[in-house]
Amino acid sequence: MTFTLAATVGALFALGTFLVLRDDLIKVVWGLAIISQAANVYLISMGGLVAAGSDTVPILATHHAPFPEPTDPVIQALILTAIVISFGMTAFALTLSYRAYQENETINVTKWEQ
Amino acid sequence: MTGTIAIAPVVVALVAGTTTLLARRWPRLQQTVSIGSALAYAYSVALLVRTVVFAPDGAAIAYQLGGWHAPFGITLVADALAVFMLAMTAIVAVYAVIFSVRFIEAANQRVYYHPLFHFLLLGVTGAFLTGDLFNLFVWFEVMLMASYVFVSFYGNSEHTAAAVRYVVLNVVGSALMLLGIGGLYATTGTLNMADMAQQLAQPGVDIRPVVGLSAFVFVTFALKAGLAPFQFWVPSAYRSAPIPIVAIFVGATKKVGIYAIIRLYFTVFGTANVTVAAPGITGRSPLVLLAPVLLTVGVLSVLVGGFGAVTRDSLDGLFAYSSIGQLGFVVIPLGIAAAAPSESLRQSGILAALVFALHHALTKSVLFFSTGVIRDATGTTRLSELGGIGKRSPAFAGVFLVGGLSLIGIPPLAGFFGKLFVFNAAARQFAAATSGDIAATGSALAILLVLLLGAVLTVLYSTRAWMGSVWGHETEAVAMGTIDRVEVTVLATLAVVVVVVGVGFEPVYHFADAAARAAIDTEAYTEAVGVGGG
Repeated sequence: MTFTLAATVGALFALGTFLVLRDDLIKVVWGLAIISQAANVYLISMGGLVAAGSDTVPILATHHAPFPEPTDPVIQALILTAIVISFGMTAFALTLSYRAYQENETINVTKWEQ
Repeated sequence: MTGTIAIAPVVVALVAGTTTLLARRWPRLQQTVSIGSALAYAYSVALLVRTVVFAPDGAAIAYQLGGWHAPFGITLVADALAVFMLAMTAIVAVYAVIFSVRFIEAANQRVYYHPLFHFLLLGVTGAFLTGDLFNLFVWFEVMLMASYVFVSFYGNSEHTAAAVRYVVLNVVGSALMLLGIGGLYATTGTLNMADMAQQLAQPGVDIRPVVGLSAFVFVTFALKAGLAPFQFWVPSAYRSAPIPIVAIFVGATKKVGIYAIIRLYFTVFGTANVTVAAPGITGRSPLVLLAPVLLTVGVLSVLVGGFGAVTRDSLDGLFAYSSIGQLGFVVIPLGIAAAAPSESLRQSGILAALVFALHHALTKSVLFFSTGVIRDATGTTRLSELGGIGKRSPAFAGVFLVGGLSLIGIPPLAGFFGKLFVFNAAARQFAAATSGDIAATGSALAILLVLLLGAVLTVLYSTRAWMGSVWGHETEAVAMGTIDRVEVTVLATLAVVVVVVGVGFEPVYHFADAAARAAIDTEAYTEAVGVGGG
C-alpha cells in the first residue's frame, strides 16, 4: 500500500510539473490542481496507514473483520481543509485565466507582453 | 479569561470584512465602517501590546480556540514577537485605509475593495498570532486569496498577466509548504509549534528529517517575503496592485514571511541544537545549517534589489526593486543570528532584523504613498516624464524627502537605527570571526562589504528618485496636474511617525528587544501555550 501511494504521489507530481510548464494557460491551471492533489495524497502517506481495530476506531466495534486500513484522522482533517482551499483556488485561477484571455487575446502565456 | 484579548485583532478584522461587505450598497457608510474598523483594529493591537510588553507583569498570552487545549486544539499566541509584527501592520493598515478612501476611484471602491482589504488584514493577523503549523498554512491562504484579487484588481492585460504569474508561483509554494508540514507532522507527531519545539528538544530525537523538511517551508516563506532567488514576482505584482495595497504588501505580507522564518527556525527548530549532546552533532542543527542559506539569500537580495532599483525608469518599479534589496538587509542579520555562537549576538541579530523591518514598513509606505500622490496628480510614474514637483508643492517634497532620507538611513529618522543595528550585528560578527579561521573572517568581511555596497546603492537610487521627480524642470505632466492636498496631509502625518520612531527610539528599542528575546526564548513560548514543563 505504501508503495502504491508513493508511486501515485510521484506520478501526480511528475504530471503536474509537466502541465505547469506548458504554454497553454488552461493546462497550467490543470497542473496546479494536480500538484495540489498530489500534496494531499502525500499527506495521507505521512499520516501512516495502520491496521485498525475497535480500540482505535470506535465505529468498527459494530463491524466485522477484515477492516480496511484507515489513515490518521488529524491528517484527514488537514486534507479536507486543503481540498477546500485548492477548490477555491482552482475556481479563481480559471476565472482569472478567462479574464487574462479576454485581455491578452490568447491563452498562450509565451505570447503575452511582458 | 485572561487570554481572550489575544483573539481581539482577528475578530475585529473578520467583523470588519463582513460588515463592509454588508454595507456595499452605501459607499459612504462602507468607507466610514472601513476606517472605523481599521482604527478599532489598531486599538485592539495597542491593548495587546500594552498587556504583553509594556504592562509591569507583561507576559505572552495564549487563547485556546474553542476551548480545546494545546496541543490538540489550535492555539493563538500573542508574545512580544507577534505583537511587534501586529503593531507594525496596524500602523500601515490605518494609513492604507485612509489613503485608499481618497486615492482609489469611487467606482473601484464599491463592492469588494474594503471587504477584501480587511480579509487581507485578517490573514496577516492570523498568521502572526497562530501557534499551529497547519493553521499558519490556512492563514497564508486567506492572505493570498485576497492578494490575488488585488494584484488583478485593475484587470487589464498587464495586470492579469502579473496576477497569473503570482497565483501560479504561490500555489506551487503552498503545495511545497503542505509537503513540509505533512513531513514535520510525521516526524514529530504534532502540529502545535510549542509542542513541536519540545518534541525536538527531547534527547535522542533524530533531527535530520526536520532539516530537510524545514527547507520546504523555508522556500515558501522566502517566496512570500520576495527574497532572491524568489523575487521575480515582486516588481510586476507591485506595479499591478493598487498603491495602498502595495504598502500593505510591503509592510505586512512580506513581513509574514520574515516572521514565519524567525518563529519557526529560532523558536521551534532552534531548540534542537541545545539538547543534542553527541559530539559533532551540534554543527548539524537546523539553525547552523540555515545560517549560510539566509546569508546567501540576503546577499543576493541586496545585490539584485539594489542594482535593479538603480536601473529602473519608473518610480514604482524603483521602489519595488528597492524593497527586494531592503528585505536583504532584514535577512542578513537573521543569518548572522543563526550562525551566532553566543546568545547575546543571536539576540542582537534578531533585534537588528526587527528594527530594520519596522523602519522598512514605515518608510516604504511613505514612499509608495508618495508614488500614489504623484500618479494621482500627473498620471505617470516614469522618471523621464516627471520633474519639478518640489516647486509646485513644497509640502509634498518635504514628505518625500523624509521618506528618502529615512531609506538612506540619516539620523534621527527611523532608517538610521535600522541601518545602525544591522551594521552593528555584522561588525560584531566580524569581530567574533577574526579570532577564528580564515574562511570565517573572509565571509564576515564579505557580508560587511555587501551591506556597505547595498547602502551605497540605496543612496544612489534614492537620489535618482528625488532628482528625477522633485527637482529639475517642471515637465508637462507635472504642470498639468494638481497635487491632492488631503493626500499630502495624510502622508505628512505618516512622515511624522517616521521621525517620531527615530527621535523617540527608546520605547521602540525596548519593544523590539522584548520581541527579539521572545523569538529565542522557547521555554517562555511553550509555557504560554500551556504545553510547558514537559
